[in-house]
Amino acid sequence: MKPESEKYNKVLEILRKSKPLLNSTEDIENKVVARISRIPGSEITLTGIIDFMFGWVYIGWVRRSMIAASMVLVMVFIYQQSVVLKRINYLNRQIVIIEGETTTTPADEIERRIMIYKLSGRILPSNRLIISEKQLDQLLESVTELQGKYKDLLNLIQEDPELKNYIEKKLKETDHTGIKL
Amino acid sequence: MKNKSFKLIVSLIIMMVVSCDEPETVVTNYVHTDGSVTRKIEMRNTKNKFELSDIQVPIDSTWTVKDSCEINVKGDTIWIRRAVKLFKNVDDINLSYRNDSGANREISRKAAFRKKFKWFNTEYSFSETIDKQLSFGYPVKNFLNKEELLYFYSPDNVKQEKENGPDSLKFRALNESVKLNTDNWTYKNLVSMWIGEFAKLTEGKSGYDLKMDSLKAHEDEFVSLIKANEKTFDSLWANGFLLKEFLGEANALKYKTEADTALSVVTRNYFIDFKDYSVRIAMPGKLIGTNGFVDSTDLLLWPVKSDYFLTEPYEMWALSKIPNRWAWIVSGLFLAFVLTGVTIRVIKKG
Repeated sequence: MKPESEKYNKVLEILRKSKPLLNSTEDIENKVVARISRIPGSEITLTGIIDFMFGWVYIGWVRRSMIAASMVLVMVFIYQQSVVLKRINYLNRQIVIIEGETTTTPADEIERRIMIYKLSGRILPSNRLIISEKQLDQLLESVTELQGKYKDLLNLIQEDPELKNYIEKKLKETDHTGIKL
Repeated sequence: MKNKSFKLIVSLIIMMVVSCDEPETVVTNYVHTDGSVTRKIEMRNTKNKFELSDIQVPIDSTWTVKDSCEINVKGDTIWIRRAVKLFKNVDDINLSYRNDSGANREISRKAAFRKKFKWFNTEYSFSETIDKQLSFGYPVKNFLNKEELLYFYSPDNVKQEKENGPDSLKFRALNESVKLNTDNWTYKNLVSMWIGEFAKLTEGKSGYDLKMDSLKAHEDEFVSLIKANEKTFDSLWANGFLLKEFLGEANALKYKTEADTALSVVTRNYFIDFKDYSVRIAMPGKLIGTNGFVDSTDLLLWPVKSDYFLTEPYEMWALSKIPNRWAWIVSGLFLAFVLTGVTIRVIKKG
C-alpha cells in the first residue's frame, strides 16, 4: 500500500509543478474580458425600476422633504377648495333676478329729489331746467296739495270698512296687480 | 299706508316734466381670461333718437352698432340700439371714460382687471368704480343696517317684486324705514356739506365759534331745525331766521353772503348731472364672489344711481376662478409617487 500512495503523491506533485499548455490564450483572454466587462444588472427588471425610482426613500432628508411637500399641496388644495365652496354657497343665497333691470327713476327717489330741491333754495343747474321755475313751483304746490288730499282720502277709506271693501273690489276689477288698501 | 297709486301719479307727472331723451341703458362687460373685455351696450328708447350726448356711457364711431325696434306688451314701439366693441384691456376702457362726451361725462369712472395664479386655480377679478362726489358727506352705511343697505342697493324690479310678493308687508315696512333713514342721511349730508363750504369761505375771517369743528358739534341741532321747518325753509332762510338760530345773530348778519354762497355750492354739488343706467358683468369661469346681484346664468347686475356714489366710491366688483386642470393632474401624480415610495419603504423595512 505504501509504494502506491507514494506513487500517487509523486504524480500529484509533478502535476502541480507542471504548467498547463494553452493552445489559444487569446481566446481565453477575450472571453474573460467580455465576461467582466458586462455591467451587472443591465437587464431591465421590475425590481430595478422600483429601486431606481424610489431610491430617494432611503435618503432621510429627501424623504422628509417629499412628504412635507405633499402635505403642503394637500393643505393648499383643501384650503382653496373650501374657500371657493364657501363663496359659492354665499352667492347661491343671494338674490336671483330673472328679468332684466329697468332704469326708470322710482317714486321714492323722485320724492327725495323734490325734498332736496325744496331745501336747496330751489336752485337747479341751468342745464337741468327744461321748464320755468314758476311752473315747477306750481307743480310742487299741486303735488303737496294732492298728497294732502290723498292722505285725507285714505283716512276716510280706512275709517269706513264698507267703503274700503267696495274700493278694494273695484280696484281688483280694474287692476290685476291686486293692490290692497 | 299704501300710497302706491299716489306715487305713480307723482312719478308720471315728474317724469313728464324732467324726462329728457336719455335711453334706458344697460352696459354688459364680457371679461375674457387675457384681460380683454367685450363691452355691449343696449339702449332702449321710446323715440328713435340716440344722441351721443344723451347716452350714459362712452360710445363712439369705433363701435359696431345695430338698430332695431320692437313692440312692447302695451303696444308701444320701443327703439333699440345695440353697440359692441372689444377692448384690448381695461386701460382702453379707462381711456374711453376719460374722453367721454356723453351724459355722464362729469363723473369719474374707472375699470380694473387682475389675474392671479393660485396653482390649483387662476382667479380673475374685474371691477368698475365710480368716485365719490361729495367731500363732506357721510357714508350711507352709517344710517342703514345690513338689511336696509341690501334693499337700498337693490335693483328697482327686485324691490317691486318684493313689495308685491308674499312678504309684501315686511318689505313695504323695510322700504319706509329705508326712505326715512335715507332722508336723514340726505339732511345730514346737506348740512355737513354746507358747514364744510361755509367754514372754507369764512376761514381766516371768523373766530373759533365758526371753525369747522365748532360748527360740526352743532350739526345735529341744525339738522333738527331744518327738518322741523322743511316746508317753510325758503322763507326762514331768506329772512335769516335759520342762520340766526345756528350761528347767532351777529354772525348771521356778518356772514350772510358766505352762508348763501355755501348753500349755492352745496346745491350745485348735490344735484349731480347724472343719468342712471345698469351695469352687467359676465366673468370667465366660475363666479366665486361679487357685491352685485346674480341671475341664474351667473350674469351680474348693478343699478347705477347718483345716490350710490355721493359720499363714498361705488365699486362694482366680481371675482371668478378657472381650475388649472394640468396642476391638478401634476399634483395628483406627485402625491401618488410619494405615497408609493413611502409604502415601498415600509414594506421593505417590515
